[in-house]
Order: sequence, then structure tokens, then C-alpha cells
Amino acid sequence: MIDTVQRKICMLGGFSVGKTSLVKRYVESIFSDSYLTTVGVKIDKKVEQLPDRVVSLVLWDLAGEDDIGSLRMSYLRGSAGYVLVADRTRRSTLQMALSLRERVEADYGPMPFVLLMNKSDLKEQWAIDDAELEDLRHRGWWVRASSARTGEGVEDAFKDLAVRVTR
Amino acid sequence: MSTSTATLDWLLRLCPSDSGIDRKNLASLLAELACSVEPGLSKGIGIPSRDPRLEELRTLLFGGEIEVLSRLREVVENPEEFAAAVGRVLHGAIANASGDERLGPVLAPALERATQSSIRKDPGTLINVLYPLIVPAIRKSIGETVDETFQSLNETLKHSLSWRGLRWRWEAWRTGRSFAEVVLKHTLVYQVEHVFLIHRHTGLLIVHVAAKEATSQDPQLVSSMLAAIQDFVRDSFAGVRHQGLDTMQLGELRLWSEQGPFATLVAVIRGNPPETLHETLRAVLSRVHAERSRTLESFNGDSSGLGDIEAQLMECVALRQRAQLTTRRGFPWLVALIAGVVLLAAGVWGLRSWEDGRQWDRYISLLRTKPGIVITEVARHDGKFLVAGLRDPLAVDPRALLLGSKIDPKRVIANWASYQGLDPELVLERLRAQLQPPASVTLAVAGGRVVAQGTATPTWLARARGAGRLLPIGAPAFDLSGVRDVNDGPLSKLSDAIESRSIHFDYDEPLPPSGQSATLDQVAKELNELATLASSLGVRTRVTLTGHSDSTGRGTFNLSLSLARAEAVRALLKKRGVDPDLLAVRGAGPLEPLEVEASDAARSVNRRVSFTVGIGEQP
Repeated sequence: MIDTVQRKICMLGGFSVGKTSLVKRYVESIFSDSYLTTVGVKIDKKVEQLPDRVVSLVLWDLAGEDDIGSLRMSYLRGSAGYVLVADRTRRSTLQMALSLRERVEADYGPMPFVLLMNKSDLKEQWAIDDAELEDLRHRGWWVRASSARTGEGVEDAFKDLAVRVTR
Repeated sequence: MSTSTATLDWLLRLCPSDSGIDRKNLASLLAELACSVEPGLSKGIGIPSRDPRLEELRTLLFGGEIEVLSRLREVVENPEEFAAAVGRVLHGAIANASGDERLGPVLAPALERATQSSIRKDPGTLINVLYPLIVPAIRKSIGETVDETFQSLNETLKHSLSWRGLRWRWEAWRTGRSFAEVVLKHTLVYQVEHVFLIHRHTGLLIVHVAAKEATSQDPQLVSSMLAAIQDFVRDSFAGVRHQGLDTMQLGELRLWSEQGPFATLVAVIRGNPPETLHETLRAVLSRVHAERSRTLESFNGDSSGLGDIEAQLMECVALRQRAQLTTRRGFPWLVALIAGVVLLAAGVWGLRSWEDGRQWDRYISLLRTKPGIVITEVARHDGKFLVAGLRDPLAVDPRALLLGSKIDPKRVIANWASYQGLDPELVLERLRAQLQPPASVTLAVAGGRVVAQGTATPTWLARARGAGRLLPIGAPAFDLSGVRDVNDGPLSKLSDAIESRSIHFDYDEPLPPSGQSATLDQVAKELNELATLASSLGVRTRVTLTGHSDSTGRGTFNLSLSLARAEAVRALLKKRGVDPDLLAVRGAGPLEPLEVEASDAARSVNRRVSFTVGIGEQP
């Protein structure tokens, strides 16, 4: 019998970075988006089939806001890892992602995460080029260009994270 | 030390040809070494006790170590220093050993004693520590008890007067349980459909069990969402760290959650559960914590090997209270019949009671109209009728009046005190009883007075006037002006006429001559008239016939003759239809002459029968 394990993963990102679109297309969801505006969090699930086990990533989609202070940090308690989402066409969202990461590390210590540079299919509107991403990778970050529209990078990102949080 | 000596002997005895070592030399060196450690040995093996060179060598070789050793020895042997030294490293040692499972059991007894003595010394410390934990728990427990009481009270009130309520009351009486308990048993229909055991730290699902027929969305998502909502409420309101959201309700679904140190148990219940279910859930949660505390604490999302917890939770899912099966066997005719009969009986009884009341009221108002009766108290009690008051003995008999109504006299308790009433009717009755008026007199009430009318004898009139004068002040007047004296009027005229008549006789004859017939006829007629008149006036009359003779002849003969003459007239009158009982006879002889007998004419006048009319009251 293959073991099934669960891991809590938080989805973090600035306002309208396409986090919700990612969730809508690639994960199992039973709750409506209204939870995000009311409770400030919505739970979704992504099941990843690894060679030796099945991992259920329980995704806590935290309401994306540009004001980092309003983030309910208590929702991150007990997370095994997190997904940072930024909009590749807006530089400010990367800054937001970086400060979110700092905030998380300050409160909960280092843990596995992946940075999704979303909307990477809109190449002509890029505000962040590949070289910059390469820099981040050199810092040891897991950065992936993704697109909620084409699905580019999304599956790989979740699979990577599933491997790392079950190691 | 005997062992050391034996080893030395053994070394000396060994064969010298084994190797090239000078055994004797080695032995003596070893012996010396041994003696330097243990001076007592030198006697046994004949070696000088101390060789100063050896001592020097030792100092040269181990000087530093010896110093360290002696310092250590000082520390170890001095309890204060040793304690200080251990104290410096104790916390580190315990921290290092905390992973070792044996540490807990070893420390437990000492810690227990220490805690006991600390509490004995100052219980305040313990109270301060436990207060923030215990008070919310106590408050919650009291809250649940109060809720339970209200729930019980609510349901009891709601059902106490219904038909179902009566049936449950009967069941309670039959089974010896309290009514409230029976009501709760029937009304609290519920089913625990899901139980989630959620890891508090991560919000991940540890175990989920569901009732067979229950359906739900992905339990992993649900449990995390529940955890998120709990966090949301905790963060948003109150900020009480150790408490969470206890209950949520959505229509007939309820979510009851119980918090443990590491896991939260959430039960999804359909229906109306009793408050006591909280306790059951809490008991299961604490049992799980007691048995698998370590697993729960270190839970990291791996739910394998938690079959025992699942079994515990299955107990919760089995909790339910089913609705009583209502057997539909059509309309309950027997029940309806019994109810009908009971209702009919009640109706008849009510109607009769109402009719009785009406009859009684009618009777009482009739009594009130009767003179000589004053009602002071009327009541109904235990099916009996009570009446009390004053009654003139001459007033109508209340019992006789009762016969006219439909009330059973046995149910009436009357209490009458006697008094004399002044109502004209009563005064009339009283006068009637007292005076016994003759038939010729009528007594009646007119214009608030008692009025008498008719004819009466002077005697009766005198008595009546006396009675009138004796009536008490305030009584109606007794009017006798309408009563005539019998002696005035036709009766006296008639009697005067009769008394003026006389029947004459011839000398020495007892019978009247034929010439007197006309007079006799006239008298007979007048006597009959008198009898009729007297009778109509209610008076008694008596006519005395007195026979007379003249004075000639012997006295005795004259007496008999006069009596014979009176008898003869009576017979003649009787013959003419006069009642003989009206007539009395007597003989007066010559003793009552009408005229002095100086001549035959005078003697002829005296030979006669005269009439005397007597009028009196009837007996």
C-alpha cells in the first residue's frame, strides 16, 4: 500500500498576481472565493503522485493584499512549505513576494518554498527578465516561470514542493 | 588484597625459561609499585615500605594529574563543593537526557514529593498557575449544565400539555423516570454524522470517520477550513488563546468542537442533540490524548497507523437518538372512542353542573322575593348548596319551595335563624292566626295596611282592636273600619220582628187555636230568614220559645202547660220547615205575665208563646 501523507502549504502573493487563477485551474477546490474576502483564507488541495507515496498538499490560499501588515500570519502556523506568487509583468509584485518571504522566515523560520513568476506567457510585457531570475536561483531559491493560462511550470512547481516537503 | 599477593606468587613461580625477561627483577619492581599504592603489602613480601626514588619518579611523571586528582577528591568529598559543582551542570545534564525515556519515571517520585510539599507550603502558587486553565473549563462546564437545564425545561414546557405529553407522563410514571428525562428522550432526535480529529498546529486532518449514510466533501479540505475558521474567530474576536469556536449551527446541522492540547475534535451532528453529548465527545478526546499523546504531538501529516484512534472515533459516530417509530395502523379508533366517551362524560357532567347552578340561582332569587326570608349567605361547595339567613316562622317553608325546583334537597344545607318580620303579608298572617276571623270577615293587604272587612260580633271586634293596638312600631296599620257590628242592620231588624211576635192560646189548651196559623206561618218564614242571614254573616243564633200560662189553676200544672205550649209551637214550626236545632224551649208558667191579670182579656194576653233571639259567635 502506498502511503498518503498530507502537508500544509500556504499560497502567498500580492494583489491580482493570478494566484486564484492558478488554484482554479490546477487544484481541487470545494470552497468559493468568497472565503478569501470573508475569512481571509480558502483551502484547496493538490494531490501529487510521487514514486514512493502520494502527497496531499493542503493549500491555504491566503487573501492577497498589497498591505503586508494585514496578512494573517497565524494562518501560516504549521505550514510545511509555501508558494510565493508574483506577476512577472509587475516588478512591485516581486518586491512584495520578497518581503512576504522575509516576514514568513522571521516568524516561522526557513522552510521550503517555490517562487512562481506568473503570467510568463506575456513575454512582451515582462518587467523581470530571465537574468534576474537566474540571480535569484543562484541564491538557492526555487524559481519557476509559470502561466495560469498555458499551465507552464505549475505542475512542476507543485511536484518540486511535494518532494521537498516530504523529504 | 589477598588477590594481589596471590598474583605476585604466581608470577614468581612461573618458569624462568619462557622468555628473556628477568622475572625476579620485574616482580620486585611490581611489588614495589604495589607497596607504594598499598603500604600494608610490604610485610607479606619482604620489600622495604617506601622507596623515596619511586616517590620522586611518580611526582616527576604524574605531578599535574595528582594535583588535579586531589582537587577533584576534595570537591567530591566536600558535600558543599560537590553540590555546587553538580548544580552548575544539572540543567545541562537533564536537558541532554530529556530524550531518554527513563528520565521521566526516575524523576517522577521526587518531583511528586516536591510538588506536594510546595503546595502544602503555599497553595497560592498552584492556584495562580492553574487559575487561567481551570476557570474557563469550569465556566464552560457550568454553561453547559445551565444550557442542559434550559433545554430540558424548554422541551418539558413545550410538551407538558399535549396529548403526546400525557402519554410521556404516563411513561415516566410507569418507568419511574422524571418527566423531563422522558421528554428529552423522545424529542432529542439526533445523529452524529461525521467526526473529524484535527491537528491543532497544522490544521491537518488526523482521522475522519463518518456514519454510513453520511456524505461530505473532501474531509481534508473540510478539516483545514474548520481549523482556518477557528483561527479566524480566535484572531478576530476576544483573543482568548485557549478557547475556540464551540458550536456552529446551520439549519439542522450542528458542528460541535472540543479542544484538546494537540487535537481538536469536531462532530457534525444532524438534529437536536442533548447538551450531555459535549461530555461524551470530550471523554473520547481525552482518551485519545491519553493513549496517543506523543503521536498527536508529533503528527506531521502521516495518518498511517492510527487505526486505534479511528476505532475510538467510531464510538462517537455511533451516537444517535432515533425518532420513535410511529406505527401507522390507521386511525386510532379505540383511542378516539375512549376520548369521545371521556369528553361526553365530561360534557354531561359540565352541563349538569351548569344546569344545577342555574336551578340553584333561580331558587335563591325566588327565596329572596318571599317576605319573611332574608338571605345572608349563598355558596356552592363540593357539590353541595349552602344557604343561610333569617326566616320568620310564618314565612314560606324554603324546603317546600325546593320541591318545585329540580334540586335534590339532600344536597342543600340550610341554616335559618328565626326573626319576626314586619311585612304586611306577615302581619296579616300573624293577625289571621291570632284572631281567627269569622267567615263574615275578610283580612287582606291593601296599600301597605292590613284591612279587615265584613261583619263581626262585638266581642270579636273588641279582640281585633286589642290585637291592632299591640302591633309593634313600624308594623303596617290594622284597619278595622270596614267591619260592621252584627247587631246593626238586617239581623237585628229581623230579630226584633221575631221577638214582637207571640202565639196565643185558649184557656187550658196546650195547642194554639186554628186562628194562629197565619201568625205561625209568618214566624216560620222569619225564622228561616234569620237562619239564612246568620249563616251568611257567620254568626250563631238561637231562638228560645217561652211558653206562658195565666195565673188561674195550680202552679205546677201551669208550668207543664206552658212548656207543652212551647213544645207544640216548636213542633208546628218544625212542620213549617224551621230547623228544630235553631229552637230552644222553656216553660215560664204564670211567672212572666205580659199584663196584670185583672180581666179575662188580660189573662188571654198572658196565655201565649213568646220568642227571644240570641246572637253569638259561632263556636
